[in-house]
Amino acid sequence: MRSASEPLLEVRGLGYAYLGRFPALDEVGFTVARGETVALLGANGSGKSTLLKVLAGLIFPDRGSYRAFGQEVTEDALEDAQLNAGFRSRLGFVFQNSDAQVFSPTVREEIAFGPLQLALPQDQVEARVDDVLRLLEIADLADRAPYQLSAGQKKRVAIASVLVTNPELLLFDEPTAGLDPRSQQWLLELLAELARAGKTILLATHDLDLLDPLAERCLLFSEQHRLVADAATADVLADTELLLSLNLIHEHTHRHGPFVHSHPHGPSHHANRAEASL
Amino acid sequence: MTPARTTPAWLLEPEHGLCPCCSIGRRRRGSAVDKTIRGLAGVLRQALQSEELAARRGLLQRLDPRVKLIATVALLVAAGLVRHIPVLLALYALTLLLAAASRLPVGWFVKRVWLFIPVFTGVVVLPATFSFVTPGEVVLPLGHWFGHPVGLTRQGLTGAGLIVCRVATSISLVVLLTLTTSWPRLLAALSALRVPRLLVLVIGMAYRYLFVLLDAVADMVTARKARTVSVANGQAGRVFVASSAGALFGKAHALSEEIHQAMLARGYRGELRTLDRTRVALADAAALVVALVLVAAAVGGDRALGL
Repeated sequence: MRSASEPLLEVRGLGYAYLGRFPALDEVGFTVARGETVALLGANGSGKSTLLKVLAGLIFPDRGSYRAFGQEVTEDALEDAQLNAGFRSRLGFVFQNSDAQVFSPTVREEIAFGPLQLALPQDQVEARVDDVLRLLEIADLADRAPYQLSAGQKKRVAIASVLVTNPELLLFDEPTAGLDPRSQQWLLELLAELARAGKTILLATHDLDLLDPLAERCLLFSEQHRLVADAATADVLADTELLLSLNLIHEHTHRHGPFVHSHPHGPSHHANRAEASL
Repeated sequence: MTPARTTPAWLLEPEHGLCPCCSIGRRRRGSAVDKTIRGLAGVLRQALQSEELAARRGLLQRLDPRVKLIATVALLVAAGLVRHIPVLLALYALTLLLAAASRLPVGWFVKRVWLFIPVFTGVVVLPATFSFVTPGEVVLPLGHWFGHPVGLTRQGLTGAGLIVCRVATSISLVVLLTLTTSWPRLLAALSALRVPRLLVLVIGMAYRYLFVLLDAVADMVTARKARTVSVANGQAGRVFVASSAGALFGKAHALSEEIHQAMLARGYRGELRTLDRTRVALADAAALVVALVLVAAAVGGDRALGL
């Protein structure tokens, strides 16, 4: 049973350790409302990717609870065929490593994989695949093999293979990693469009330039695998001390003519400069 | 505050001793590392060439892959049953005709088949041509053994010729199929013909990730080449091969786990569903009939020639 006010995702006291020894998440708790775009920020190894895999129901936490779409998500619950199909069709996960995600012999088969496993009728699958190929501007790659694609093209195929099932919640793990500036810009615009269409989006990143126009809210993770801040993006980007302490920005030394000066480097850099020049 | 950077002094000095200004060093060519890099590039080149041939607009490329698969299997069975060299030669000539009609480079096609027959089949059949193994009429005497002539016998040579022709024809048929059908379409044909889907999936993935892992190997080997200054000795070489094999195994394992998660995330639950496009054109049906008639003619003709 779901009420309109119930959050889409609800995470409480989540703990996870790889092999039971190497902690990746410690006492993590937050909620995400329908239609929100939330960024997970943290340095390398702070547990963002692990959290996304827990949210996607691919690994299961050692402690704490996780509810999605009004249902408790556990290993046991996902054994249920109907619940599994419902959960998987409403949640799309774009992996950081496109090579792991693009495993079929051709691009077309790759995109068709998801809807076919979710038992959509064949003709509908084919129509959707064609639509997504057009949306992501990769129609000319439809019959290519993955090894003939560039990193940017593979990322598009990976995103297409997730969008084709029309999930309401999208998880992106380091979406811009390894993409050239033009592909990054294209991806940003796509994410903004999906957000406008009412999709709920969670993205793990350490690329602060990605946040400003896109995510209204940030969850910050410390290198001790704990959630240390849950705040509006503007406030987070203004809090230089916090960002420095989380290793998300660094002290930067450079030269202006004869002067050498240091300042924190990150998106707030430009805001600081603007203030200084006033 | 970030701590003051402590760059070791030696890193700030130019390195002496390795003089790039003159070329009086010993030169080595054809190291194992270079060969490995070239070999890896060769695999990719060959795959691309096969794809390019399969995309040409020739006779066999236009046929439905399922029809080609059935016809190939039927013709293979015929080649296995036939016991006369002329009939096999006729079948072989047919594969050459089909290769030409499918716009394959015929010279290259012939070379590709015959290059490895002496290596594999020749070694196997050679002993059978001698009078020790196949007694009979000696046509090429090589000497005498306790008063009996020994050498190559007619029966032995016929048997060997038969096997060589059979192998050449069979390989030509399979090469024709694989060169005129792109890999994905061949996989689709296999699953359409009720080969278990999981098996097809595994074959498909093995081929797909071959390239990813080859990339990883090429990276490791190139990185080693970039750092190798002196001539490596055998011991270091073995250590490198062993450690990179280990690293590759680890990478493959991590990758396989992630692929499995990617499949689960999109609703895979152990029972695979695939796109089925069953449209057989009239030309495909006709081609299948022609192939089956050829099979009947080959086997029937062979029987008519007697044992």
